[in-house]
Amino acid sequence: MTDLSNKTGGTGWNSDHFRKNLARRKRSEKRFQRIGLGAILTALTLLAILMFSIFSKGYTAFIQTSISLDVTFNEAIIDKDGTRDPEALRHANYTKLVQESLRARFPDVEGRSNLRALFGLLSNDASDTLRDMVMANPELIGQTLSVELLAGDDVDMLNKGYIDRDLAEDNRRVKDKELVWIDSLKEEGQIVTHFNSGFFTNGDSREPEKAGIAGAMVGSFYTLLITMLLSFPIGVMTAIYLEEFAPRNKFNDLIEVNINNLAAVPSIVFGLLGLAIFLNVAHLPRSAPLVGGLTLALMTLPTIIIASRAAIRAVPDSIRQAALGLGASKQQAAFHHVLPLSMPGILTGTIIGLAQALGETAPLLMIGMVAFIADIPGGINDPATVMPVQIFLWADSPERAFVEKTSGAIMVLLAFLVLMNALAVFLRKKFERRW
Amino acid sequence: MQMQAETNLMSDADMAEEIVIETQDVNVFYGDNHALRGVSLDIPKHQVMALIGPSGCGKSTYLRCLNRMNDTVEGCRVVGKILLDGIDIYGPQVDEVLLRARVGMVFQKPNPFPKSIYDNVAYGPRIHGLAANKDELDEIVLSSLEKAGLLKEVQDRLHSSGTGLSGGQQQRLCIARALAVRPEIILMDEPCSALDPIATAKVEELIDELKENYTIIIVTHSMQQAARVSQRTAFFHLGEIVETGPTEQIFTSPIDERTQGYITGRFG
Repeated sequence: MTDLSNKTGGTGWNSDHFRKNLARRKRSEKRFQRIGLGAILTALTLLAILMFSIFSKGYTAFIQTSISLDVTFNEAIIDKDGTRDPEALRHANYTKLVQESLRARFPDVEGRSNLRALFGLLSNDASDTLRDMVMANPELIGQTLSVELLAGDDVDMLNKGYIDRDLAEDNRRVKDKELVWIDSLKEEGQIVTHFNSGFFTNGDSREPEKAGIAGAMVGSFYTLLITMLLSFPIGVMTAIYLEEFAPRNKFNDLIEVNINNLAAVPSIVFGLLGLAIFLNVAHLPRSAPLVGGLTLALMTLPTIIIASRAAIRAVPDSIRQAALGLGASKQQAAFHHVLPLSMPGILTGTIIGLAQALGETAPLLMIGMVAFIADIPGGINDPATVMPVQIFLWADSPERAFVEKTSGAIMVLLAFLVLMNALAVFLRKKFERRW
Repeated sequence: MQMQAETNLMSDADMAEEIVIETQDVNVFYGDNHALRGVSLDIPKHQVMALIGPSGCGKSTYLRCLNRMNDTVEGCRVVGKILLDGIDIYGPQVDEVLLRARVGMVFQKPNPFPKSIYDNVAYGPRIHGLAANKDELDEIVLSSLEKAGLLKEVQDRLHSSGTGLSGGQQQRLCIARALAVRPEIILMDEPCSALDPIATAKVEELIDELKENYTIIIVTHSMQQAARVSQRTAFFHLGEIVETGPTEQIFTSPIDERTQGYITGRFG
């Protein structure tokens, strides 16, 4: 007992038992740290793999292959009467103009099927490009210009290296004769690649080379706008009422339990609710961002209410007491002090809820926002689709070129989500106050 | 009732002071918990009344009855009469918002709003519409800070945050904030318990000055503080008032055994 350096005997802190126990506790702590680190590393690795897979597949969606051709704006085809009437110019046969240009480039191609394959090198968007040029500037008629025309998706895929030239011809989308033409164009420097701005300005299309996510982005914007305008004020007001005004009784306990349960309800159930109420009872337009927004607002409300209540509860009671002690009414205490102080938490919760709504697909399938819609919606009542649904649709499409579109759209969606979360962090920092 | 009040007054034998608050047989319940049992106490005008007693004896509960802050506590029930200038503050004609403008409160922990010093003091006058224009508001804010003895220290940073002040300054800011509403009575719930001795001395000095114009009721755990600042003292024990009288008398020749035990530190 008296010998403190005695390593083998002793009692209390000096006993063998104590030392063994201490070593065991230290080991357990180390083990826990290692497991935690391992879990984080695993998650990061998986995330990195996911990101790599999406980015490596998707970055080519932002690149577009075009073919540069000498086009003669033949007056006999475009405007044989020479009137320059815009109506006549609009309805002229520009497809023939494109075909003539291709035949001029490859004069020795003969036969119906060969010619069809040749014309297939270009997207059928090419004739629209020529029409737009002529409509904008009728002076072009009669001239010969080098014009870059959108390539068909097979040429695009081959150019990006997605089509294996070594495959047997039967199993290959691009046949041998087409390979010859393409290589010839390449040698002449007639195959060019650009940043694919159409991906961000076009609506959906059956032709992969023309398909863009502008329609889905605008649809998502309108949908989210409706969701935000409804769920934010209603959610925050509900939270304030429940936290600051509602008496503690059985009825309000029931409400609380129900809100917590609603937050855990599968999203597709909200889709069914939207279908039953907004479409079947209220007869709102199908596939419209209005209905999508209403449905997602229902889904987001519990999230916002729960986050807002937590934020309001975190405001120290001393602040309420200070305000009430000065003769502020309950409402003044809530709106002058509690609400501003809980705003960072409320905004964070709201943005997380909206980000969730932005990525939501299932409830929108139920209310018809899964339709193929080529037009960019002009308002909340127009048929529309949203980004995650667009990804779902493209992932379902058979063409090889839609694979990169899918990954590209995922990248855009992820970018929006990162942006929204960054905004949440920024707002939290900006409104944060210490006391 | 009137008779009883008069006899109370006479039995105090001290002097014929003007009584601001008359408390008659007040009982407070928190749910089933009987926190205050038949408390009757008269509070004279422009004096400092100290409430002392061991923790949980009901002195804070009593204090919070006087401006109806207990109303905000769920399940709290107040029975009995509390007359402010002869009017029952729990009566139907009294609005608690107006009452709290007349009866200000300073809390145990300094609780300035996380706003500028100016806005802290201006908040009360703003919600009650006490200032007609910006100049009047400035005047109220500056005179309140002056009265709270804080003006010199914060003059050049009125628009910096009130939470950036030291603990003692924050508490004086809270006092200035209460004064800005122009109350008649100020309730203080252990205002110095979170302060160091120097800040405490400043607040005590301030209380001494304020009693010229205000009636102050202070809850304190410090016997010395009660002895230093108050003219009258009430000793609470287990929800009842054991003894009340001039401070000097309570501390030098307490009548009740329990009072004596408490002030000499034998229990509590």
